[in-house]
Amino acid sequence: MSDPNIDNMELRCPRLGSLIPFRYCLISGEGDLPCMKIMDCWWEIFDVDAYLKENLPAEAYNKLVTAQPRSKVATIVEIAEEAKKNK
Amino acid sequence: MRNRQIFLKPEEIPRQWYNILADIKINPPLGPDGKPISPDQLAPVFPMNLIEQEVSTERWIDIPDEVLDVLSIWHPTPLVRAYNLEKVLGTPAKIYFKNESVSPPGSHKPNTAVPQAYYNKAFGIKKITTETGAGQWGSALAFACCQYGIECRVFMVRISFDQKPYRKTMMATWDANCVPSPSNETKAGRDALEQNPDTPGTLGIAISEAIEAAVADDSGQTRYSLGSVLNHVMLHQTIIGLEAKKQLEKVGDYPDVVIGCAGGGSNFAGLAFPFTQDKINGRQIDILPVEPAGCPTLTQAPFVYDHGDTAKYTPMLPMYSLGHTFVPPPFHSGGLRYHGMAPTVSQLVDEGLFEARSVTQSDAYRAGILVARTEGIIPAPETTHALALTIAEAQKAREEGKEKVILFNWSGHGQLDLGAYEAYLAGNIKDIELSPEDLHGSEKVYADYPKPQHLKSR
Repeated sequence: MSDPNIDNMELRCPRLGSLIPFRYCLISGEGDLPCMKIMDCWWEIFDVDAYLKENLPAEAYNKLVTAQPRSKVATIVEIAEEAKKNK
Repeated sequence: MRNRQIFLKPEEIPRQWYNILADIKINPPLGPDGKPISPDQLAPVFPMNLIEQEVSTERWIDIPDEVLDVLSIWHPTPLVRAYNLEKVLGTPAKIYFKNESVSPPGSHKPNTAVPQAYYNKAFGIKKITTETGAGQWGSALAFACCQYGIECRVFMVRISFDQKPYRKTMMATWDANCVPSPSNETKAGRDALEQNPDTPGTLGIAISEAIEAAVADDSGQTRYSLGSVLNHVMLHQTIIGLEAKKQLEKVGDYPDVVIGCAGGGSNFAGLAFPFTQDKINGRQIDILPVEPAGCPTLTQAPFVYDHGDTAKYTPMLPMYSLGHTFVPPPFHSGGLRYHGMAPTVSQLVDEGLFEARSVTQSDAYRAGILVARTEGIIPAPETTHALALTIAEAQKAREEGKEKVILFNWSGHGQLDLGAYEAYLAGNIKDIELSPEDLHGSEKVYADYPKPQHLKSR
Protein backbone atom coordinates (compact mmCIF):
# COMPACT_ATOMS: atom_id res chain seq x y z
CA MET A 1 0.00 0.00 0.00
CA SER A 2 2.02 2.89 -1.22
CA ASP A 3 1.25 5.87 -3.38
CA PRO A 4 3.97 8.47 -2.86
CA ASN A 5 1.68 11.26 -4.07
CA ILE A 6 -0.72 10.49 -1.27
CA ASP A 7 1.66 9.16 1.36
CA ASN A 8 3.76 12.32 1.36
CA MET A 9 0.87 14.77 1.67
CA GLU A 10 1.10 16.72 4.91
CA LEU A 11 -1.50 18.03 7.31
CA ARG A 12 -1.46 19.36 10.85
CA CYS A 13 -2.16 16.54 13.26
CA PRO A 14 -4.64 17.72 15.92
CA ARG A 15 -3.32 15.16 18.41
CA LEU A 16 0.36 15.89 17.97
CA GLY A 17 -0.03 19.54 17.01
CA SER A 18 2.48 19.42 14.19
CA LEU A 19 2.59 18.81 10.45
CA ILE A 20 2.81 15.12 9.68
CA PRO A 21 2.75 13.12 6.45
CA PHE A 22 -0.21 10.88 5.60
CA ARG A 23 2.10 7.86 5.78
CA TYR A 24 2.50 8.49 9.51
CA CYS A 25 -1.27 8.38 9.97
CA LEU A 26 -1.24 4.97 8.32
CA ILE A 27 0.98 3.46 11.02
CA SER A 28 0.29 5.41 14.19
CA GLY A 29 -2.78 3.64 15.52
CA GLU A 30 -3.06 0.77 17.93
CA GLY A 31 -1.36 -2.40 16.80
CA ASP A 32 -0.97 -2.32 13.06
CA LEU A 33 -3.90 -0.01 12.48
CA PRO A 34 -3.86 3.53 11.11
CA CYS A 35 -4.53 6.37 13.54
CA MET A 36 -8.14 6.33 14.75
CA LYS A 37 -8.57 9.89 13.49
CA ILE A 38 -7.19 9.30 10.02
CA MET A 39 -10.55 9.78 8.34
CA ASP A 40 -11.52 12.69 10.55
CA CYS A 41 -8.45 14.59 9.49
CA TRP A 42 -8.16 13.72 5.84
CA TRP A 43 -11.75 13.60 4.59
CA GLU A 44 -11.56 17.24 3.55
CA ILE A 45 -8.43 16.62 1.50
CA PHE A 46 -9.19 13.50 -0.53
CA ASP A 47 -11.33 10.37 -0.53
CA VAL A 48 -9.43 8.75 2.31
CA ASP A 49 -12.20 6.23 2.92
CA ALA A 50 -11.93 4.79 -0.58
CA TYR A 51 -8.15 4.78 -0.29
CA LEU A 52 -8.22 2.81 2.96
CA LYS A 53 -10.89 0.43 1.71
CA GLU A 54 -8.72 -0.34 -1.27
CA ASN A 55 -5.44 -0.65 0.57
CA LEU A 56 -6.22 -2.12 3.98
CA PRO A 57 -7.15 -5.76 4.59
CA ALA A 58 -10.92 -5.93 5.13
CA GLU A 59 -10.53 -6.92 8.76
CA ALA A 60 -8.21 -4.01 9.49
CA TYR A 61 -10.53 -1.60 7.71
CA ASN A 62 -13.53 -2.78 9.69
CA LYS A 63 -11.55 -2.60 12.91
CA LEU A 64 -10.54 0.96 12.12
CA VAL A 65 -13.96 2.31 11.24
CA THR A 66 -15.66 0.65 14.18
CA ALA A 67 -13.03 1.38 16.84
CA GLN A 68 -13.73 3.91 19.57
CA PRO A 69 -11.06 5.71 21.58
CA ARG A 70 -11.08 5.11 25.31
CA SER A 71 -11.77 7.59 28.06
CA LYS A 72 -8.61 9.24 29.36
CA VAL A 73 -9.28 8.33 33.00
CA ALA A 74 -9.95 4.69 32.20
CA THR A 75 -6.89 4.56 29.95
CA ILE A 76 -4.67 6.08 32.63
CA VAL A 77 -5.86 3.58 35.25
CA GLU A 78 -5.34 0.71 32.84
CA ILE A 79 -1.78 1.79 31.90
CA ALA A 80 -0.89 2.39 35.55
CA GLU A 81 -2.09 -1.07 36.57
CA GLU A 82 -0.16 -2.65 33.72
CA ALA A 83 2.98 -0.72 34.69
CA LYS A 84 2.66 -1.80 38.32
CA LYS A 85 2.44 -5.41 37.20
CA ASN A 86 5.62 -5.02 35.14
CA LYS A 87 7.67 -3.46 37.96
CA MET B 1 -7.78 56.58 21.29
CA ARG B 2 -10.14 53.64 21.64
CA ASN B 3 -9.82 51.52 24.73
CA ARG B 4 -9.06 48.29 22.92
CA GLN B 5 -7.79 46.23 25.85
CA ILE B 6 -9.63 45.87 29.14
CA PHE B 7 -7.35 45.07 32.05
CA LEU B 8 -7.86 44.03 35.62
CA LYS B 9 -5.56 45.36 38.29
CA PRO B 10 -3.19 42.73 39.69
CA GLU B 11 -5.17 42.65 42.95
CA GLU B 12 -8.37 41.92 41.00
CA ILE B 13 -7.15 38.47 39.93
CA PRO B 14 -9.74 35.82 40.98
CA ARG B 15 -8.94 34.22 44.35
CA GLN B 16 -11.06 31.13 43.80
CA TRP B 17 -11.74 28.73 40.95
CA TYR B 18 -15.30 27.87 40.03
CA ASN B 19 -16.11 24.16 40.24
CA ILE B 20 -18.97 23.26 37.93
CA LEU B 21 -19.39 19.87 39.62
CA ALA B 22 -21.21 21.76 42.39
CA ASP B 23 -23.92 22.74 39.95
CA ILE B 24 -24.31 19.74 37.66
CA LYS B 25 -24.88 16.04 37.97
CA ILE B 26 -22.54 13.80 36.06
CA ASN B 27 -22.30 10.13 35.19
CA PRO B 28 -19.08 8.66 36.60
CA PRO B 29 -16.49 6.83 34.46
CA LEU B 30 -16.92 3.07 34.83
CA GLY B 31 -14.14 0.54 35.34
CA PRO B 32 -13.92 -2.88 33.68
CA ASP B 33 -16.09 -4.28 36.47
CA GLY B 34 -18.85 -1.83 35.61
CA LYS B 35 -18.27 0.12 38.82
CA PRO B 36 -17.17 3.75 39.03
CA ILE B 37 -13.40 4.29 39.07
CA SER B 38 -12.35 5.10 42.64
CA PRO B 39 -9.87 7.76 43.82
CA ASP B 40 -7.61 4.97 45.11
CA GLN B 41 -7.14 3.69 41.57
CA LEU B 42 -5.75 7.10 40.60
CA ALA B 43 -3.44 7.47 43.63
CA PRO B 44 -0.31 5.97 42.03
CA VAL B 45 -0.67 8.43 39.14
CA PHE B 46 -1.77 11.74 40.68
CA PRO B 47 -1.14 13.32 44.09
CA MET B 48 -4.08 12.95 46.47
CA ASN B 49 -4.68 16.71 46.74
CA LEU B 50 -5.38 16.84 42.99
CA ILE B 51 -7.50 13.68 43.16
CA GLU B 52 -9.56 15.41 45.87
CA GLN B 53 -10.08 18.32 43.49
CA GLU B 54 -10.99 15.87 40.74
CA VAL B 55 -13.95 14.57 42.75
CA SER B 56 -14.78 17.69 44.76
CA THR B 57 -18.25 19.18 44.58
CA GLU B 58 -17.35 22.38 46.46
CA ARG B 59 -18.51 25.29 44.31
CA TRP B 60 -15.56 27.60 45.03
CA ILE B 61 -12.02 26.38 45.63
CA ASP B 62 -9.39 28.78 46.93
CA ILE B 63 -6.42 29.44 44.67
CA PRO B 64 -3.32 29.16 46.88
CA ASP B 65 -1.19 32.31 47.16
CA GLU B 66 1.80 30.37 45.80
CA VAL B 67 -0.21 29.61 42.65
CA LEU B 68 -1.45 33.19 42.30
CA ASP B 69 2.10 34.40 42.61
CA VAL B 70 3.16 32.43 39.52
CA LEU B 71 -0.05 33.07 37.57
CA SER B 72 0.52 36.79 38.14
CA ILE B 73 3.47 36.60 35.74
CA TRP B 74 0.88 36.97 32.94
CA HIS B 75 -2.51 37.13 34.67
CA PRO B 76 -4.92 38.81 34.62
CA THR B 77 -4.81 38.38 30.86
CA PRO B 78 -6.30 41.15 28.72
CA LEU B 79 -9.82 41.11 27.39
CA VAL B 80 -9.66 42.62 23.93
CA ARG B 81 -12.37 44.33 21.89
CA ALA B 82 -11.89 43.20 18.28
CA TYR B 83 -12.79 46.54 16.71
CA ASN B 84 -11.05 45.86 13.41
CA LEU B 85 -12.76 42.52 12.95
CA GLU B 86 -16.14 44.10 13.75
CA LYS B 87 -15.48 46.77 11.13
CA VAL B 88 -14.41 44.37 8.40
CA LEU B 89 -17.49 42.22 9.06
CA GLY B 90 -19.78 45.24 9.18
CA THR B 91 -21.49 43.75 12.18
CA PRO B 92 -23.39 45.58 14.91
CA ALA B 93 -22.10 42.90 17.31
CA LYS B 94 -19.44 43.72 19.86
CA ILE B 95 -16.72 41.07 19.66
CA TYR B 96 -14.46 40.46 22.64
CA PHE B 97 -11.74 37.87 23.09
CA LYS B 98 -9.84 36.71 26.12
CA ASN B 99 -6.21 36.73 25.07
CA GLU B 100 -4.60 33.63 26.58
CA SER B 101 -1.77 33.72 24.05
CA VAL B 102 0.17 36.08 26.30
CA SER B 103 1.35 33.39 28.73
CA PRO B 104 5.07 32.51 28.69
CA PRO B 105 4.51 29.28 26.71
CA GLY B 106 1.94 31.03 24.49
CA SER B 107 -1.31 29.29 25.40
CA HIS B 108 -3.91 28.71 28.12
CA LYS B 109 -2.18 25.45 29.14
CA PRO B 110 -0.11 26.87 32.01
CA ASN B 111 -3.34 27.88 33.78
CA THR B 112 -3.51 24.26 34.92
CA ALA B 113 0.18 23.34 34.65
CA VAL B 114 1.01 25.85 37.39
CA PRO B 115 -1.48 24.62 40.00
CA GLN B 116 -0.72 21.01 39.11
CA ALA B 117 2.99 21.59 39.71
CA TYR B 118 2.21 23.42 42.96
CA TYR B 119 -0.08 20.69 44.34
CA ASN B 120 2.46 18.02 43.43
CA LYS B 121 5.12 19.94 45.30
CA ALA B 122 2.81 20.44 48.30
CA PHE B 123 2.25 16.66 48.34
CA GLY B 124 5.99 16.03 48.46
CA ILE B 125 6.45 15.07 44.83
CA LYS B 126 9.91 15.76 43.39
CA LYS B 127 9.40 14.81 39.77
CA ILE B 128 6.54 15.06 37.28
CA THR B 129 6.25 13.12 34.04
CA THR B 130 4.05 13.81 31.07
CA GLU B 131 3.74 13.20 27.35
CA THR B 132 3.50 15.81 24.66
CA GLY B 133 2.78 15.86 20.96
CA ALA B 134 4.36 18.91 19.42
CA GLY B 135 5.24 20.33 22.81
CA GLN B 136 2.54 22.84 23.75
CA TRP B 137 1.57 20.99 26.93
CA GLY B 138 5.13 19.85 27.57
CA SER B 139 6.42 23.41 27.50
CA ALA B 140 3.59 24.61 29.76
CA LEU B 141 4.43 21.96 32.34
CA ALA B 142 8.16 22.61 31.98
CA PHE B 143 7.54 26.29 32.73
CA ALA B 144 5.37 25.44 35.76
CA CYS B 145 7.79 22.87 37.22
CA CYS B 146 10.64 25.33 36.80
CA GLN B 147 8.75 27.88 38.89
CA TYR B 148 8.48 25.44 41.80
CA GLY B 149 11.82 23.68 41.44
CA ILE B 150 10.35 20.32 40.46
CA GLU B 151 12.06 17.97 38.03
CA CYS B 152 10.08 17.57 34.82
CA ARG B 153 10.43 14.74 32.35
CA VAL B 154 8.57 15.05 29.06
CA PHE B 155 8.15 12.16 26.65
CA MET B 156 7.77 13.80 23.26
CA VAL B 157 6.58 11.75 20.30
CA ARG B 158 9.67 11.10 18.19
CA ILE B 159 8.28 12.48 14.93
CA SER B 160 7.54 15.82 16.63
CA PHE B 161 10.81 15.74 18.58
CA ASP B 162 12.66 15.63 15.29
CA GLN B 163 10.44 18.25 13.63
CA LYS B 164 9.90 20.79 16.38
CA PRO B 165 13.24 21.96 17.71
CA TYR B 166 11.88 25.15 19.24
CA ARG B 167 9.46 23.51 21.62
CA LYS B 168 12.10 21.17 23.02
CA THR B 169 14.49 24.10 23.34
CA MET B 170 11.76 25.95 25.21
CA MET B 171 11.41 23.00 27.58
CA ALA B 172 15.18 22.74 28.05
CA THR B 173 15.34 26.47 28.76
CA TRP B 174 12.87 25.88 31.58
CA ASP B 175 15.12 23.08 32.84
CA ALA B 176 12.89 20.19 31.78
CA ASN B 177 14.24 16.99 30.35
CA CYS B 178 12.52 16.25 27.06
CA VAL B 179 13.23 12.81 25.62
CA PRO B 180 12.03 11.35 22.34
CA SER B 181 9.45 8.60 22.67
CA PRO B 182 9.82 5.65 22.37
CA SER B 183 12.80 5.74 24.70
CA ASN B 184 14.87 3.09 26.41
CA GLU B 185 13.75 4.38 29.81
CA THR B 186 10.55 2.35 30.07
CA LYS B 187 9.29 -1.10 29.20
CA ALA B 188 6.64 0.43 26.94
CA GLY B 189 9.35 2.31 25.06
CA ARG B 190 11.73 -0.62 24.84
CA ASP B 191 8.95 -2.87 23.54
CA ALA B 192 8.12 -0.38 20.81
CA LEU B 193 11.77 0.03 19.82
CA GLU B 194 12.29 -3.71 19.74
CA GLN B 195 9.38 -4.01 17.33
CA ASN B 196 10.68 -1.18 15.13
CA PRO B 197 13.93 0.62 15.99
CA ASP B 198 13.07 3.39 13.52
CA THR B 199 9.54 3.99 14.77
CA PRO B 200 8.42 7.65 14.69
CA GLY B 201 6.50 7.00 17.91
CA THR B 202 2.85 7.63 18.76
CA LEU B 203 0.99 9.57 21.39
CA GLY B 204 -0.23 6.26 22.83
CA ILE B 205 3.32 5.04 23.43
CA ALA B 206 4.34 8.41 24.90
CA ILE B 207 1.41 8.33 27.36
CA SER B 208 2.33 4.79 28.38
CA GLU B 209 5.94 5.84 28.93
CA ALA B 210 5.02 8.88 31.01
CA ILE B 211 2.63 6.95 33.26
CA GLU B 212 5.03 4.02 33.60
CA ALA B 213 7.87 6.37 34.53
CA ALA B 214 5.71 7.80 37.32
CA VAL B 215 4.29 4.54 38.64
CA ALA B 216 7.58 2.65 38.49
CA ASP B 217 9.40 5.08 40.79
CA ASP B 218 9.65 3.10 44.04
CA SER B 219 10.41 6.23 46.05
CA GLY B 220 6.81 7.35 45.50
CA GLN B 221 8.07 10.83 44.68
CA THR B 222 7.08 10.88 41.01
CA ARG B 223 3.64 11.54 39.58
CA TYR B 224 2.10 12.01 36.15
CA SER B 225 0.37 15.12 34.86
CA LEU B 226 -2.32 15.56 32.19
CA GLY B 227 -3.26 18.88 30.60
CA SER B 228 -6.80 18.21 29.38
CA VAL B 229 -10.10 16.37 29.91
CA LEU B 230 -9.92 15.86 33.71
CA ASN B 231 -12.23 17.75 36.07
CA HIS B 232 -9.41 19.47 37.96
CA VAL B 233 -7.96 20.71 34.66
CA MET B 234 -11.30 22.32 33.79
CA LEU B 235 -11.43 23.78 37.30
CA HIS B 236 -8.05 25.48 37.00
CA GLN B 237 -8.95 26.91 33.61
CA THR B 238 -11.99 28.75 34.99
CA ILE B 239 -9.69 31.64 35.82
CA ILE B 240 -10.21 32.61 32.16
CA GLY B 241 -13.97 33.04 32.40
CA LEU B 242 -13.88 34.50 35.90
CA GLU B 243 -11.52 37.24 34.76
CA ALA B 244 -13.55 37.83 31.59
CA LYS B 245 -16.72 38.37 33.65
CA LYS B 246 -15.02 41.02 35.77
CA GLN B 247 -13.56 42.71 32.70
CA LEU B 248 -16.90 42.84 30.92
CA GLU B 249 -18.48 44.30 34.04
CA LYS B 250 -15.97 47.15 33.84
CA VAL B 251 -17.35 48.15 30.43
CA GLY B 252 -20.96 47.37 31.31
CA ASP B 253 -21.31 44.39 28.99
CA TYR B 254 -22.38 40.78 29.36
CA PRO B 255 -22.07 38.20 26.57
CA ASP B 256 -25.04 36.97 24.58
CA VAL B 257 -22.80 34.34 23.01
CA VAL B 258 -19.75 32.54 24.45
CA ILE B 259 -17.55 30.54 22.07
CA GLY B 260 -14.54 28.28 22.53
CA CYS B 261 -12.86 25.50 20.60
CA ALA B 262 -13.92 22.18 22.13
CA GLY B 263 -10.81 20.01 21.53
CA GLY B 264 -10.34 18.13 24.80
CA GLY B 265 -12.52 20.76 26.44
CA SER B 266 -10.19 22.77 28.64
CA ASN B 267 -9.95 26.12 26.88
CA PHE B 268 -13.65 26.09 26.12
CA ALA B 269 -14.58 25.05 29.67
CA GLY B 270 -12.23 27.63 31.15
CA LEU B 271 -14.09 30.46 29.47
CA ALA B 272 -17.57 28.96 29.49
CA PHE B 273 -18.08 27.38 32.91
CA PRO B 274 -18.33 30.62 34.93
CA PHE B 275 -21.01 31.82 32.47
CA THR B 276 -22.68 28.42 32.58
CA GLN B 277 -23.31 28.98 36.25
CA ASP B 278 -25.29 32.09 35.29
CA LYS B 279 -27.18 30.12 32.65
CA ILE B 280 -28.05 27.44 35.19
CA ASN B 281 -29.43 30.27 37.32
CA GLY B 282 -31.66 31.46 34.51
CA ARG B 283 -29.59 33.90 32.45
CA GLN B 284 -30.19 33.82 28.68
CA ILE B 285 -26.88 33.09 26.98
CA ASP B 286 -25.78 30.93 24.05
CA ILE B 287 -22.74 28.84 24.97
CA LEU B 288 -21.21 27.25 21.90
CA PRO B 289 -18.36 24.71 21.88
CA VAL B 290 -17.01 24.42 18.37
CA GLU B 291 -15.15 21.51 16.81
CA PRO B 292 -13.78 20.56 13.41
CA ALA B 293 -16.53 19.41 11.05
CA GLY B 294 -14.48 16.31 10.37
CA CYS B 295 -15.33 14.83 13.75
CA PRO B 296 -18.68 16.19 14.90
CA THR B 297 -18.90 14.07 18.03
CA LEU B 298 -20.96 16.45 20.04
CA THR B 299 -23.09 17.72 17.24
CA GLN B 300 -24.00 14.38 15.72
CA ALA B 301 -23.52 11.49 18.10
CA PRO B 302 -25.89 10.03 20.72
CA PHE B 303 -24.99 10.20 24.44
CA VAL B 304 -24.65 6.65 25.74
CA TYR B 305 -22.60 4.38 27.91
CA ASP B 306 -20.23 2.69 25.50
CA HIS B 307 -17.14 0.53 25.46
CA GLY B 308 -13.99 1.98 24.00
CA ASP B 309 -13.49 -0.97 21.68
CA THR B 310 -15.35 -3.43 19.51
CA ALA B 311 -14.27 -6.35 21.67
CA LYS B 312 -15.97 -4.62 24.62
CA TYR B 313 -12.97 -5.15 26.88
CA THR B 314 -12.55 -1.52 27.90
CA PRO B 315 -14.59 0.26 30.57
CA MET B 316 -17.99 1.67 29.72
CA LEU B 317 -18.13 5.43 29.88
CA PRO B 318 -20.80 8.01 29.35
CA MET B 319 -19.84 9.47 25.98
CA TYR B 320 -21.01 10.69 22.64
CA SER B 321 -20.62 7.83 20.22
CA LEU B 322 -21.80 6.57 16.88
CA GLY B 323 -21.65 2.90 17.66
CA HIS B 324 -19.32 -0.01 17.08
CA THR B 325 -20.98 -1.27 13.97
CA PHE B 326 -20.97 2.06 12.26
CA VAL B 327 -19.45 1.90 8.81
CA PRO B 328 -18.86 5.32 7.38
CA PRO B 329 -20.27 6.08 3.97
CA PRO B 330 -17.75 6.79 1.24
CA PHE B 331 -16.14 10.18 1.32
CA HIS B 332 -18.14 11.51 4.27
CA SER B 333 -16.70 9.01 6.67
CA GLY B 334 -14.21 11.24 8.38
CA GLY B 335 -16.83 13.44 9.90
CA LEU B 336 -18.53 10.78 11.89
CA ARG B 337 -16.12 9.60 14.51
CA TYR B 338 -16.09 10.00 18.25
CA HIS B 339 -13.12 11.70 19.88
CA GLY B 340 -12.25 12.33 23.50
CA MET B 341 -13.96 15.17 25.28
CA ALA B 342 -14.09 16.31 28.90
CA PRO B 343 -17.02 14.49 30.54
CA THR B 344 -18.28 17.75 32.06
CA VAL B 345 -18.54 19.36 28.63
CA SER B 346 -20.28 16.26 27.20
CA GLN B 347 -22.73 16.35 30.08
CA LEU B 348 -23.64 19.97 29.53
CA VAL B 349 -24.16 19.42 25.81
CA ASP B 350 -26.45 16.54 26.67
CA GLU B 351 -28.43 18.77 29.01
CA GLY B 352 -28.84 21.40 26.34
CA LEU B 353 -26.90 24.03 28.27
CA PHE B 354 -24.29 24.03 25.51
CA GLU B 355 -25.07 23.88 21.82
CA ALA B 356 -22.18 22.28 19.94
CA ARG B 357 -21.24 23.59 16.50
CA SER B 358 -18.71 22.56 13.90
CA VAL B 359 -16.66 24.29 11.22
CA THR B 360 -14.59 22.96 8.34
CA GLN B 361 -10.81 23.14 8.35
CA SER B 362 -10.82 25.60 5.48
CA ASP B 363 -13.33 27.91 7.19
CA ALA B 364 -11.18 27.78 10.31
CA TYR B 365 -7.96 28.73 8.52
CA ARG B 366 -9.75 31.37 6.46
CA ALA B 367 -10.96 32.90 9.73
CA GLY B 368 -7.51 32.61 11.28
CA ILE B 369 -5.94 34.55 8.45
CA LEU B 370 -8.65 37.22 8.41
CA VAL B 371 -8.31 37.79 12.15
CA ALA B 372 -4.50 37.74 12.03
CA ARG B 373 -4.77 40.51 9.45
CA THR B 374 -7.31 42.54 11.41
CA GLU B 375 -6.34 41.97 15.07
CA GLY B 376 -2.66 41.28 14.48
CA ILE B 377 -2.12 38.07 16.44
CA ILE B 378 -1.52 34.83 14.53
CA PRO B 379 -3.87 32.38 16.22
CA ALA B 380 -3.05 28.79 17.17
CA PRO B 381 -4.78 26.39 14.79
CA GLU B 382 -7.18 25.31 17.56
CA THR B 383 -8.20 28.92 18.11
CA THR B 384 -9.16 29.31 14.46
CA HIS B 385 -12.20 27.08 15.01
CA ALA B 386 -13.52 29.53 17.59
CA LEU B 387 -12.73 32.39 15.24
CA ALA B 388 -14.70 30.82 12.38
CA LEU B 389 -17.79 30.44 14.55
CA THR B 390 -17.36 33.93 15.98
CA ILE B 391 -17.36 35.33 12.46
CA ALA B 392 -20.46 33.30 11.58
CA GLU B 393 -22.27 34.56 14.69
CA ALA B 394 -21.23 38.15 13.98
CA GLN B 395 -22.54 37.84 10.43
CA LYS B 396 -25.78 36.40 11.77
CA ALA B 397 -26.07 39.37 14.13
CA ARG B 398 -25.63 41.68 11.13
CA GLU B 399 -28.37 39.89 9.18
CA GLU B 400 -30.68 40.03 12.18
CA GLY B 401 -29.69 43.61 12.99
CA LYS B 402 -28.92 42.65 16.58
CA GLU B 403 -26.26 44.33 18.73
CA LYS B 404 -25.08 41.12 20.33
CA VAL B 405 -22.06 40.78 22.58
CA ILE B 406 -19.89 37.86 21.46
CA LEU B 407 -17.07 36.55 23.62
CA PHE B 408 -14.54 33.95 22.53
CA ASN B 409 -11.35 32.45 23.89
CA TRP B 410 -8.12 33.16 22.04
CA SER B 411 -6.48 30.09 23.49
CA GLY B 412 -2.99 30.48 22.07
CA HIS B 413 -0.78 31.97 19.39
CA GLY B 414 0.30 30.08 16.31
CA GLN B 415 3.87 31.25 15.92
CA LEU B 416 5.20 27.72 16.27
CA ASP B 417 2.47 26.31 14.02
CA LEU B 418 3.14 28.17 10.80
CA GLY B 419 3.44 24.94 8.85
CA ALA B 420 -0.29 24.46 9.29
CA TYR B 421 -0.96 27.86 7.72
CA GLU B 422 1.40 27.00 4.92
CA ALA B 423 -0.68 23.91 4.12
CA TYR B 424 -3.83 26.03 3.94
CA LEU B 425 -2.23 28.79 1.90
CA ALA B 426 -0.95 26.16 -0.55
CA GLY B 427 -4.59 25.27 -1.24
CA ASN B 428 -4.50 21.78 0.20
CA ILE B 429 -7.77 22.04 2.11
CA LYS B 430 -11.22 21.92 0.51
CA ASP B 431 -14.77 22.14 1.83
CA ILE B 432 -16.96 19.07 1.97
CA GLU B 433 -20.28 19.14 3.78
CA LEU B 434 -21.65 16.21 5.76
CA SER B 435 -25.08 14.85 4.98
CA PRO B 436 -27.36 14.18 7.98
CA GLU B 437 -28.64 11.05 6.21
CA ASP B 438 -25.18 9.56 6.52
CA LEU B 439 -25.35 9.80 10.28
CA HIS B 440 -27.08 7.83 13.01
CA GLY B 441 -27.29 4.57 11.05
CA SER B 442 -25.80 2.49 13.81
CA GLU B 443 -27.52 3.78 16.93
CA LYS B 444 -29.48 0.55 17.28
CA VAL B 445 -26.25 -1.09 18.44
CA TYR B 446 -26.89 0.49 21.84
CA ALA B 447 -30.24 -1.17 22.36
CA ASP B 448 -28.87 -3.55 25.01
CA TYR B 449 -26.44 -1.13 26.64
CA PRO B 450 -27.03 0.67 29.93
CA LYS B 451 -27.96 4.26 29.19
CA PRO B 452 -26.43 7.11 31.16
CA GLN B 453 -29.08 9.12 32.89
CA HIS B 454 -29.95 12.29 31.04
CA LEU B 455 -29.28 14.22 34.21
CA LYS B 456 -30.66 17.72 34.60
CA SER B 457 -28.75 20.14 36.73
CA ARG B 458 -31.54 22.70 36.75
